[in-house]
Amino acid sequence: MRRFSLLALFLFSLAVLLAAPFIGAQNIPLGSLFGFADFSTMRLLWDLRVPRVLLGWATGATLALCGMIFQALFRNSLASPDMLGVSTGAALGAVVYIRIGYVFTVFGLISGLSCAAFAGAFLATFAIYAAGSLRRSDMSPASLLLAGVAMSFLFGSLNMIIQYSSGYVDTFRMMRWSMGGLQTVGFSSALAALPALAIIFVIAYVSGPELDLLVCGEEIAASRGVSVERLRRLIFLSVSLVIGINVAICGPIGFVGLLVPHICRRLVGSSHRRLAVASLLFGGAFLVLCDIAARVLWAPAEMPVGILTSCIGSIFFLWLLLKVKG
Amino acid sequence: MSMGAFIEVEGLSLSIGGSRILEDISFSLEKGRFLGIIGPNGAGKSSLLKCIGRLYKRFSGSVRLDGVSLASMPERMLARRIAWVHQTGSDSLPFTVREFALMSRYPWQGAFGGITRKDIEITEAALSVARVEHIADRRLGSLSGGERQKALIAAALAQGTDVLFLDEPTSFLDYRHQVETIELITRVNRERGITVLLVTHDINLALYGADDLLAIKRGEVCWKGPSRDILNGDLLFDIFETEFQSFAHQGQDVPYVVPKGLVR
Repeated sequence: MRRFSLLALFLFSLAVLLAAPFIGAQNIPLGSLFGFADFSTMRLLWDLRVPRVLLGWATGATLALCGMIFQALFRNSLASPDMLGVSTGAALGAVVYIRIGYVFTVFGLISGLSCAAFAGAFLATFAIYAAGSLRRSDMSPASLLLAGVAMSFLFGSLNMIIQYSSGYVDTFRMMRWSMGGLQTVGFSSALAALPALAIIFVIAYVSGPELDLLVCGEEIAASRGVSVERLRRLIFLSVSLVIGINVAICGPIGFVGLLVPHICRRLVGSSHRRLAVASLLFGGAFLVLCDIAARVLWAPAEMPVGILTSCIGSIFFLWLLLKVKG
Repeated sequence: MSMGAFIEVEGLSLSIGGSRILEDISFSLEKGRFLGIIGPNGAGKSSLLKCIGRLYKRFSGSVRLDGVSLASMPERMLARRIAWVHQTGSDSLPFTVREFALMSRYPWQGAFGGITRKDIEITEAALSVARVEHIADRRLGSLSGGERQKALIAAALAQGTDVLFLDEPTSFLDYRHQVETIELITRVNRERGITVLLVTHDINLALYGADDLLAIKRGEVCWKGPSRDILNGDLLFDIFETEFQSFAHQGQDVPYVVPKGLVR
């Protein structure tokens, strides 16, 4: 049954990935694959749709994996990078970068925006981490989560201050960007998102057994030989990096990291190696589907997908809270 | 230290947030022995066990196992020597008994390695020793306290160590499960030669199973010696600050001890 679930998820994800480029405000006939289409349709397919679907898939999968890892680390099903202020931190970094207006790239490859977003994400993670270790006794996952929510508000308000103090054009750019969207032209964004996905998937898969033990409690994990402190540092660093890259490309896209691992846990169980594969497949497909909805519902205009995921996600979040209590 | 000392603790002290939890604790234990660590609530028994097993790291003093200092031992190596049965809360662990026991094979697996046939064999053997095969496919969260405790012991056995640490393994258990749990721990100690360190506030539990006792009071060693000797003089009164009365039928090996205040 559970083996079947992974196979089913794989087929589902593949189907979504293959079908998505043809669906939108303007549907593209399958024949265009074989050249039976005019030039503008071909441009639409290969310059806009295919890169966008790829970017959406990679982003969704990355967010889902980061969420899965954070939920295991904090032993709390409500934890995810966007709930704990990591995404808001990344967004703040990016907004500061836009505000300062000094454009640079590292080695001509990594955009300054990515670096700034990573710095912001890292700052947020570090602040949570430091808050945890400042209190002499271990911080309970619940208070850590609250610290994250507070952090999220803090960074959010700083973000507002910068937006408020910016010029008209910058403010619009920041606001539009902070809604989170997958608009892209050409493959460069998708190609930047894929390495981030690769990094986080390898970490999630390799540390699967450690995450399994960590879910049972820090002492249980430590007594089984897991180097909890090292694992925690690895996770904080890699999640900040990956979320930083992602936020730089798409802006903050909320709730995917919270929602997807939950659904996957129901489908394939709690073993983190299986869960990592499931989150990859389903997370990718989920965001692509949301993006189709964002493109089609309001056609010919389109809505940033981040608004849609936040809307679906927050309702899901409420339902989850009620269910956990009850 | 003494010849054949297997576990040696020297000058162990622990402070948390400025308050002294443990003060200059030293003792040694031979291989295959069963040590009961007893004392009143809040004496520092659990903290002591956690320092020895390096779950707490910020203590002073030294702990040696087989002559090797534990301070510098990598986590996995340590987990191949010492297995834990923790004091468990009501956390709902999302795994079945068998899955959890298999997860305890972690210290023997490589970074990319999966579960081997040998891991499965050892796990199945541990499930059978702890007599939990019939509940092996049930989730830990769905078990009663007693079944769950035996499942956790099975997982600790699956870890394949020669030392077993238990923290209050019978608190919150009903009588039948208390009996079965201490019987299981004693059997593992006698038949497999596993060295046992067990923390408890229950003097009868310690008398039943332990060869040696270490009494802790206000973070210091209050008494140590062969377990039977604790009934001599006013020792129990000194440790627990209440009078005790012992009951023994003829031919019974170990008496049963109750606080006088509980006998009418």
